[in-house]
Amino acid sequence: MISLHIDKIPSLLGQIIPFIPVTLFVVFISSVLGSLLGGAIARLLFSQKKLSRRFAQTYIYLLRCTPPIVLLFIVYYGLPKLFLNLFEIDLNVLDKLIFVVISFTLLFAASAAETFRSAYLAIDAGQTEAGLASGLTALQTFWRIIFPQALRVALPNYCNSLVNLMKEGTLAYTIGLVDLMGQANLILGRNYGNYAIETYLSVAIVYWLFVLIIELSFNMLERHLAFERLPKKAKEGVHGYPVLD
Amino acid sequence: MDIQYLIDTFWLSLKGIPVTLIITFSALILGTPIALWFAHIKIQQIKFANKIVNGYVTLIRSTPMILQILIVYSLLPSVLNRMFKNLSIPFDIFKVNPIIYAILVFTLTAIASLTEIYRSAILAVQPGQKEAALASGFSERQANWRIVYPQALRIALPNLCNLVIFLVKGTSLVFIMTIKDITAIAKVAASFGYNYIESYLDVLLIYLIICSVIQFSFYIIEVLLDHPLHKSKKYSQWRLAHD
Repeated sequence: MISLHIDKIPSLLGQIIPFIPVTLFVVFISSVLGSLLGGAIARLLFSQKKLSRRFAQTYIYLLRCTPPIVLLFIVYYGLPKLFLNLFEIDLNVLDKLIFVVISFTLLFAASAAETFRSAYLAIDAGQTEAGLASGLTALQTFWRIIFPQALRVALPNYCNSLVNLMKEGTLAYTIGLVDLMGQANLILGRNYGNYAIETYLSVAIVYWLFVLIIELSFNMLERHLAFERLPKKAKEGVHGYPVLD
Repeated sequence: MDIQYLIDTFWLSLKGIPVTLIITFSALILGTPIALWFAHIKIQQIKFANKIVNGYVTLIRSTPMILQILIVYSLLPSVLNRMFKNLSIPFDIFKVNPIIYAILVFTLTAIASLTEIYRSAILAVQPGQKEAALASGFSERQANWRIVYPQALRIALPNLCNLVIFLVKGTSLVFIMTIKDITAIAKVAASFGYNYIESYLDVLLIYLIICSVIQFSFYIIEVLLDHPLHKSKKYSQWRLAHD
């Protein structure tokens, strides 16, 4: 009853697989840049100045309410026009990839900032106090005491954000980037719209595998960093007081 | 920047809000009973069903929403059409409002997320609550509906708010199914004079308003439902530290 040509899927997969690097490149660069920006925004959230805190909160709030596709369009259409009007620089010569990366960096930064904030708050304030009391500077306390612990707490949420980024990255095809989804649409056009379901299914299979790989590797990382695996010294603590909670 | 166009399109695009809300809330309402059932299967770890539910949740959560939309929209109408023809039912499937397909896709997504939300919320209710209910002579069903679910609902609210916002944001993709939602209206308006930036700024503004209203209403519900204990000084300090 359903004319599903399963036998077409391997050849379709073969045609879209060469475009995996484009998708991975977008995800990788956006997540790295987004994490840096997110870290900076999370820092502003804990700033002493009210203005900085407000700025960071507004940023997270705005980006949380923005549909990815709308942000993508605004960056793609708006940014070149803005630069043309303000600095008379023509950005239209730039690759579409750059606009995609900018949009997803902005999006990822908001969720990364939230992740970092909650991870930072999850670490007991006593850790900072103890660090400062033992003569470390504030910066040393953060990098040597808080950061390693917060990193582990942040892992599950970070994994979630990364998976979301991966899924939202599909939308890049709407501005004409030829990644997995873009190539799938090109194939569809070449086949005059035939085998639509098979094409989309093969894209779905690739995405499903990627998400699986991301989740498995984060699970492994979590287990690797688990409390039970820490050196005996850290567990038993110094003078009977546990180092880690 | 064409300010007059910006204002005109804003009012024009507002007409898409009912579509967005209908899709979101139909998905939530239709998904809730199934999600509750799935959540119970996962909690009680019923042998075979547990595997199926897990597979379903992972499958839905690991594929992009746009792919789900495209797959359903390219698969379902032709399959249904053939089915109706085989059964010789005189019904033109291609005249059905595409919003039905959108509701279907969003319900499938909502079920996957709701299952996880309800499961974690039900597990977060202290087991003593249910034991106490059973000990005072409640049946299993009564204990669930009168003791566990009301408390679980309160625990689930923040996650529900997140899900509603996620779904509302997701509806910006239904223009692919030729549904006249906010994005579609703004896009059509922009195509006359190539005012894409103004249009998308309008869309952004409308989504901002919708999401703000949703977040505010959830906040109000949370405040109203809060136990007096939660208004204690210790709790408010905890909230301050986390907000």
